[in-house]
Formats: sequence, C-alpha cells, structure tokens
Amino acid sequence: MSHQRHFSDAAVKEPHSVSLKVLRLTRPSLVSQYPLSPPLSSPTTTTSSLPPSPLPASLSYSSTPSSQTTNPHPFLLSPILALPPSFGSAHVGTTFSCTLCANHDIPPPIDGGPPLSVKTIRDVKIEAEMKTPSSPTLIPLLPPPPSSSSATNQEQTNTTGVDLTPGSTLQKIVKFDLREEGAHTLAVQVSYYEATETSGRTRTFKKLYQFVCKGLLVVRTKTSALGLGKGGRRRWVLEAQVENAAAAAGGQGEEGGGGGEVVYMEEIGLELERGLTARDVNFWGRGKNKEKVVLRPGEGEEVVFIVEEEEPWDGREEGEGRKVFGTLQIGWRGEMGARGFLATGRLGTRFLRPREQGGVKA
Amino acid sequence: MDQAQPDDGKGHRRTRSAVKATRPRSSTKGPLDMADPLAPPPPTTQPSSSSSSSSSTTTPAAAPLSPNPQLIPHQLTPRMHPPLTPRATSPLPRSPALSPAPGTTRRPPPATTAPGPRPKDFSFLLRPEIFHPLTPLSIPPAFRNSAKQPPPETPLPELLEKGHFRAAAISAVQTLTGTGHATQPDPSDHVRIFELLYTRWACLTLINSTDLAAQEVKALGDLNSAFYLAEDAASGRTNHLVPWALRVLNVRLQAIGFGDLRRAVMSYYELAREARVKLAEAMGEHDNSSRELWRERLEDLGVRVAGALVEMGDVKGAGEHLRGLKIGDSGKMEMMRALLWLRLGDVDAARGCVMKGEGRGVTRGEKVVLALCDMADGEYEQAVGKWRELGEEEGGDEMVTVNLAVCLLYVGKMQEGRALLEGMVDTGRSSHTLLFNLTTMYELCTERARSLKVKLSEKVAAMEETNDGWEKTNADFKL
Repeated sequence: MSHQRHFSDAAVKEPHSVSLKVLRLTRPSLVSQYPLSPPLSSPTTTTSSLPPSPLPASLSYSSTPSSQTTNPHPFLLSPILALPPSFGSAHVGTTFSCTLCANHDIPPPIDGGPPLSVKTIRDVKIEAEMKTPSSPTLIPLLPPPPSSSSATNQEQTNTTGVDLTPGSTLQKIVKFDLREEGAHTLAVQVSYYEATETSGRTRTFKKLYQFVCKGLLVVRTKTSALGLGKGGRRRWVLEAQVENAAAAAGGQGEEGGGGGEVVYMEEIGLELERGLTARDVNFWGRGKNKEKVVLRPGEGEEVVFIVEEEEPWDGREEGEGRKVFGTLQIGWRGEMGARGFLATGRLGTRFLRPREQGGVKA
Repeated sequence: MDQAQPDDGKGHRRTRSAVKATRPRSSTKGPLDMADPLAPPPPTTQPSSSSSSSSSTTTPAAAPLSPNPQLIPHQLTPRMHPPLTPRATSPLPRSPALSPAPGTTRRPPPATTAPGPRPKDFSFLLRPEIFHPLTPLSIPPAFRNSAKQPPPETPLPELLEKGHFRAAAISAVQTLTGTGHATQPDPSDHVRIFELLYTRWACLTLINSTDLAAQEVKALGDLNSAFYLAEDAASGRTNHLVPWALRVLNVRLQAIGFGDLRRAVMSYYELAREARVKLAEAMGEHDNSSRELWRERLEDLGVRVAGALVEMGDVKGAGEHLRGLKIGDSGKMEMMRALLWLRLGDVDAARGCVMKGEGRGVTRGEKVVLALCDMADGEYEQAVGKWRELGEEEGGDEMVTVNLAVCLLYVGKMQEGRALLEGMVDTGRSSHTLLFNLTTMYELCTERARSLKVKLSEKVAAMEETNDGWEKTNADFKL
C-alpha cells in the first residue's frame, strides 16, 4: 500500500516475533500469453505443412493432455489466474478487500550458530479499523461489529485468539465499502502472548496503511417536462450523463490503453418515489439485442428515462415548487467482474407544468 | 413513440474526448539512432526503383479474416506485390543457384559492392550495433552459477531443446555477427539469417526482454517493402523471403517498439490479406495441405487481432471481432469469448458462452469458465468447490491447481494454497504464473520472504532442462 507506518512499543526494543503482512485483494487477473512458433522449425512460406504447435514456453501454463483443450492459444487471454501485482486504485462505490496475515516468524540463526530458542506464541489476535475522511472515529472491521450479523459466527474465533506454531500464519480477510473520496487509513493492530521457558508477556503492535479513494463515475442529470401523456398524466424526460472519470493509465498513451479503469455498465435504473412509473428508452442494457455499454477512461454515455405519473394530473402544482422523482442507481463491473455501485441523491424537477404544445398523441 | 420525445437516438452517442497521438514515436536513443527505423530498405541494400515506398501506414483492409472461399481477392494488390524483376528464391541456404537479377532499372549498389547482378544483400541485418547485450544480473544466482549453464559452444538447436533461451538469444546473435563458434551466414543467405533473427527475438520475448526485441526488430524496417519479396522462377509467384512466424512476431514487436498498438491490428490485417490470396491460390490448385496451412494461419491471425484489441483496451471490440471469426474448434471459441467477457466484467455473458442450450457446462473447458465466473462474482467458496472437483477429475493440471490455490487465498486458506503450489513445483512445473503466485504468498507468510524465494529459485534451478524453459529471471521470483 502507498504509505506505511510502523509503531512498535517504545519500551520493548526486541523485535517482534510476529509479523504482519497485507495484500489488497482486488480480483485476480487472467494471464496474457503470446504463443510463438518454435524457432528453427518455422516453415518458410513455401513449405506445405501445418503450422507447428506453439512453443510450450510461450504458453501461460504447461499442458497436460486435457489442458490442451482449455488453453485457447493463440489467443492472448488464458484461464490461469495471477494474484494482484500491486495495490491498484481505490474507487468510490467499490468494496475494499484486504487480507491480513499475522506470521510467527522464526528468527534466522546468527552466523551458523545454534538455532535461537523459539518462543511460544499464543492468543494471536488481529484487529482492524478504517478511518474515512468524514468519520470522526475509526470504523471497526475486525472483529466485525455486532451489528453486522451474518459474519459473526464465522469470525467468532477471532475474539478468542489463535496459537501460532513457528512458521505458521493467522490469515484474516477484511472488507469495507468505499463511499467517500479522500484519504482512508486502514489501522491494524496485532496482539499476542509471547512465552519463553522462564517468562511471558503480552505484546502488541500497530500498522497503518493509507490509501486515497477516488471517484470513478461522474453523473450529471437534466430534466425537462413533456406534454401530458395518455389519460392526462404528467410526464418528464430525465437525461443522465455517466462519465468514466478515471485517468487514462499512467500517461503511457496507447500502450497503457488496456491498463485504465474500464467500466462495464451492468445496469442503470431509477428507484422512483410512490406514484411514478418510468420507461427506459435506451437501446443498450442487458438482454438480447441490447448493446453492451463499456466506458473507457474519459468516455461517457447518456441514458434517458421517461417518468410518468400514475394518476391523471389535477392541475395543481406541488407546493414546494419541486417534483421529486427518486434516485438513479448505477451498477457496474470492473475487470474480472469487480462490482461497483452508486446511487445519486434524490433527483427531481422544477418544471411542474406540462409542456405546451399542439397535437399530443396518445 | 411520442413526437415530444427527446431525440433519444442522439442520446446514445459516445463522447471520446481523449486526445490520441496518431504519430508513432520516433526512434529511441541508442545504437539504432543511426538508422531510420522506418526507412524500408536500409542503405546498404539495393533499392528497387519500383518499390512502393513505406506502405505500412495505409489503412487496414476491410476484408474479414474468416476464411471464406467465396470471397477470393481477384488479384494481388499491386502495393504488396510490385512488379519486381524476376528473381529466383531458393529456400536452400547458400545456394549458388541464386540467379542474378537482370538489372532493369536498378541503381548500382554502393561503391563497395561490385557492379553487376548479384543476390540480395542482407548484411544490414548482421550489424552488431543492432543487438543489445543481455545482462546476466537479472538471473538469480541459483541459475547463473548452475552447472547446467551450457558451454558457449553448445549448438543452437540443443539450447532451444533444453530451454536455455537466454543463451540461445546470445548464441543467435553471435552467429549473426560472426563472433561465435558457428560460421556467420552469408549476407545473401536470407533463410539462415531470418531463422537466426526469429530465434533471437522469440527467445527475448520468452526471457522477459520483449522491450529489447521491440527495439532490435526495428532493424528490419518495413517488411512490406518490395525488397523482401522475390519471385519464384518455377511458378512465377511472388513470395515473401521472411518466414511467416517472424512476420507475425514482427507485428507485435514493431507495435511495441513504436508505441502504437493500433499498428498491430493493421499489420495483422495486411498479413491476413496475403494469407487469403495464398489460400485462394491453394484452393485453385486443389493443394489440400497448403490450403489447410493458410486456413490455419488466417484463423491464427484473426485470433491475434482480437488479442491486440484487448491490449488496446477495446475488449468490446474484440468481442465483436471474434463473432465474425470462423474457428473450427468450437470449444476454443467458447473459451476465448468467455475469457473476453470475464476480462470486461460481463460475467453473465461469460456464463452464457458455456451454458446456452442443453447439456452445456459439462466439458472441462466449460467447467473452468464456470469456476472463473464464480470468482468474478466474488463467490470464492463456491469456486473453491469447482476447482477442487476439476482437480480431482484430473490431477496435475497446472492451471486448475494454480487457480485453486489463488482462490484459497481469497477464502483465508492461504496455507493450503501455498502447499498446493509448492507441490506443483515439486512435480516439475515452473510457469511464470505459478512462481509469481507462490512468491506472492511467501511475501505474505513471513517478513523474511527473501530466503524462501532464494530457496525456491534453487529448487527450480535444479529441475531438468526442458523446452518449457529452464532459466528464470529475478522477476519470476520477485527477487
């Protein structure tokens, strides 16, 4: 992670017997391969024989008789997965996930001397909290707060602590929904009981991991009134522009084209107030004959809804001078299906009278 | 629809505001600065007056890549096959039968060469300044100091057979530049020269040095240049002197070298156009083996275009492109499409690729896709079950084992995953992905991961040398 600070107990100079390592768990990625014809056997243009099968070393994994059928060479993408190589970028609307590993490290012997006496490590606990830009206090992630019901049973063990044999690891996974832009800090505290043959003590240390969460999608909306619809119902047009505001990958120009945050729009829908219906008049979306909407960095897409009242208009305008429609909800997927979700604030319109025009058709 | 409706047809346009550079980057610093990489035939060659200058910037052909026998191009495009003087191209190395060109409008070659007809001179590809030195420092000591390091006089085929790709890349250059044990090829022996160049650049891509290869390959200039064409005396056909595999590899390397991936798409299309011509010829002559060869090459190019589009970030475009391809192996096509949609994040579409119709989702490939889909949905526990099942069906499948191990890390069972990967290494597997994932786990398991990584590199260095590639780089072990 971008920034890391290490706090050790000031009183204890001795290095800790337990180390903490973290890895942000973005989705694993499909490994690219560049299949090659084997050198020195490549036929010249005039030789009439089938192209040789690709050089094994140029494929992303070695073939067993059956895995030949799973590797789609000479295709770029292959089904083997690689763990995330780096932290990546964090975006509002996505879930931050991270694995925390507390390890009982065995100290290396000093210059070929006898191995150091290994300490007994008991009752290892990992606690994790998240500091967001707006929250005054840290939000507990691990152990999960009592309110988050489902995970409690599984995580029960965490409150009791675990004994670690030398070289073993206590692994935990934390998740946090990112809702705000700005600096976040993941604070992780490890505590354990360290016992030698003669004595024992409880030790703790804390590590802070900072990262910046950025907005990914920018939504702009506009409403306008339509003429009265069928049965004298009021209707409006709600237009929304959704833009992928991610920066193009690291200024590498064309080469980095595949590296930016590409967004696949899974759905854009309206969550309406009571008494309203909406019609999606877009050509894209899910389902047959609908076009996939993919936004690369800097690209945008416009969506349009017709919002209509369920009851005929009685000629009265809203007292507050505003008709509230509801919220626009956007669900998207990133590379390898990483989910993102955003909802706008409550959208509405100040155009309360139907548009004046001749010849409204039913 | 209502007339009062907004112009929703317009509402669906896409705003592409990013300004994109259209000009390929100029050449980089280094020894190559001397030569203009875009100049088709280097100065030492005999420029053909009829050569149609640099043609690599023309627009790609609109012809689809699928081998459709109905759509046979009528004629060879004059741009690709300029009316060259007849020349014999013997595929045999150092053939004395290389017939001289009956000099039509050729300018006399530079002063050093004797006037008069002579075979094409490829000495510009033998210059030492083209090639970069390879540092052994990127190799872990376990490999660098291994007794398995081949002696310098080891013949090239043996180096390749044993997976000594760095040594092979060096050996190929030593031969080309006449500094090694093998004799330097004659400047007119294009078969041998291109074979060595292909070996060099293919090996560089295998040892994590693709960037170097991308710089070196600029020495070829424009492979569409008429200089690289020759007419076969017997059949009267125009043939390209550069082997197909090198031309295909050159597309990707030049695109990287010039920092313009769109160039790759265009160049693949140019190769495809030629493949279609050859396919048509083969069909006309009822030459079945030649027909199969060109059909496969065409298919191969089509798939490579999809890959190039993915690398450009246009996954959706790649999907549309794949839809237009005819691939004989339907299981492979299914896998390609599913992987594309997974990459894009459209998990439903990926599932749809293998679950449409009855009795689907049963082949090994289909099950692999379904397990990947679970992971894309974040359902790692479910995916673990599927990977385990696949692993039990057939043990020793590297991809399945690696993916199971990765998945186990996401459900908090990294120790088990690590043991699985170590087991894979013990059975002699050493793909980049396997080593990368295992060393990533080592980094999570301890503050002192370095010693584990070094031990792993020693273990891999002790493995048998196969053409899977024996020597690894520091990057493979994150050292």
